Amino acid sequence: MTRGYRILIVDDDADYVAAVGAYLEANGFTVVTAANGQEGLRMAARHRPALIIMDVMMGDRTEGLFAVNELRRLPGLERTPIIVASALYTTEPEFTVPPEAEWLAGATFLGKPVDLSVLLERINTLLDMG
Amino acid sequence: MTEQDVHDTIVVIDDDYAMRLSCEQILGKSGYGVRSYEDGARGLEGVAELKPSLVVVDLKMPGLSGIEVIPRIHEIDPGIVIVVITGYATIGTAVDAMKAGAYDFLPKPFSPDELRLIVRRGLERRRLVAESQQAEIERELMKRRFVTFVSHQLKTPLVAVHQFLEVLQRLGDNADASAKRREWTERCLVRTTEMRTLINNWLTLSQLGGGTLSRHRVDLDVRELLAHVVGEHAESAARQDIRLELTPGVPLPVHGDRTCLSVLFENLIANAVKYNRPGGSVRVEGTVDSGEVVVAVTDTGLGIPAGDLPYLFDEFYRVRRSGDETLTGTGLGLPISRRVALEMGGAIEVESTEGAGSTFRVRLPSCPAPSSKTEPIR
Repeated sequence: MTRGYRILIVDDDADYVAAVGAYLEANGFTVVTAANGQEGLRMAARHRPALIIMDVMMGDRTEGLFAVNELRRLPGLERTPIIVASALYTTEPEFTVPPEAEWLAGATFLGKPVDLSVLLERINTLLDMG
Repeated sequence: MTEQDVHDTIVVIDDDYAMRLSCEQILGKSGYGVRSYEDGARGLEGVAELKPSLVVVDLKMPGLSGIEVIPRIHEIDPGIVIVVITGYATIGTAVDAMKAGAYDFLPKPFSPDELRLIVRRGLERRRLVAESQQAEIERELMKRRFVTFVSHQLKTPLVAVHQFLEVLQRLGDNADASAKRREWTERCLVRTTEMRTLINNWLTLSQLGGGTLSRHRVDLDVRELLAHVVGEHAESAARQDIRLELTPGVPLPVHGDRTCLSVLFENLIANAVKYNRPGGSVRVEGTVDSGEVVVAVTDTGLGIPAGDLPYLFDEFYRVRRSGDETLTGTGLGLPISRRVALEMGGAIEVESTEGAGSTFRVRLPSCPAPSSKTEPIR
């Protein structure tokens, strides 16, 4: 079981956050949440999460993608694993952007709804690598 | 927007040394960056190098004339505003200059104030053009993303429901889980309702295009319909400290589809409450004016920027304001409202001042029969 790692979920859908958050807590993680990109940046700076789960469409714009880039500029968060989860992706687009990329560096993309087993496995893999 | 926008550079092209000097002084004092050139050829080089916001050019110069210079400036950048200077004797030429693409002309002699005014107006126009081009680009992008966007909108509530069910399936049977089960079941119902509304909106929209509504028309009194919709929003308005009032008035007889007209007024009134602020008000007023039923929904809310107004009734167009990220919407309400109004042989129009509020006005052909025949609301 996982060792109290802190995970930040940034998503404007409170129901999704409640469901996924409860699942992660049941699996031993500490969960902090934010409802938009700006708040996500503040929470990330304050709580130093071990991993971030980021939505893309917040409000009516692709705010999450910009938030990822902003996060990469915050000291200490340059390498934090980020999972970008969005219903924008119709197939299983699971791919990871190379860490040296200028845009969305190191982000792993997942489609929504996320398969909880896949999510958990991915989180553990990313945390073990770091 | 400040009068002295430090980013604006102005180029002056005039063979008259005294004129160049006074333009430089007048505009320089207003905070613009000014460069002047003594003939058309050098002026064009300067324009290419500096990319100014505005060019003041004398029409009558030796060498390249002002008329010849205008199109060549616009070859460099069509967005540059051109003001021509001309003597009284050449007003006819000034008109030619306007046809060639000049924004305005300034007859000699002119006062410093006249020069400053015309420059300020020219720069203002340039900003407006740039803003509307930006809006056009966003609209085009939105169209391209249309399908992606629609499916995302439809999937969002589905994702929440799916995620709830999946977690519930995996949680054990302890007390905490059963509390969650109750709470989340409630949420699942809310979200499936949301999804149904969204799909219904879609269907209404496509039906409206097909003209199938004419079959469902009855004689009805819009006043009763408004009372019903206003009543439904009374609670949420009160919660947000917004005064929602229906001005009692005359019967408003129309021949139309009840459901669709409800959707129309529902959208307008819901928006007026939603894009408002505590202490604000929403006034709903119906009148009959030369054979037309006119319903005005006036709010003292956030208002709509002028650049957004032309696109307000486009599908999925949403006004972007900083600080209102919590206000979600489908971007379908107003397009549906407009189609309903058109389908009923009417129209919808909007007046708005950003920061002060908006008035949406719906005009519908009034039906000749008096209200005695109208059906009561459910």
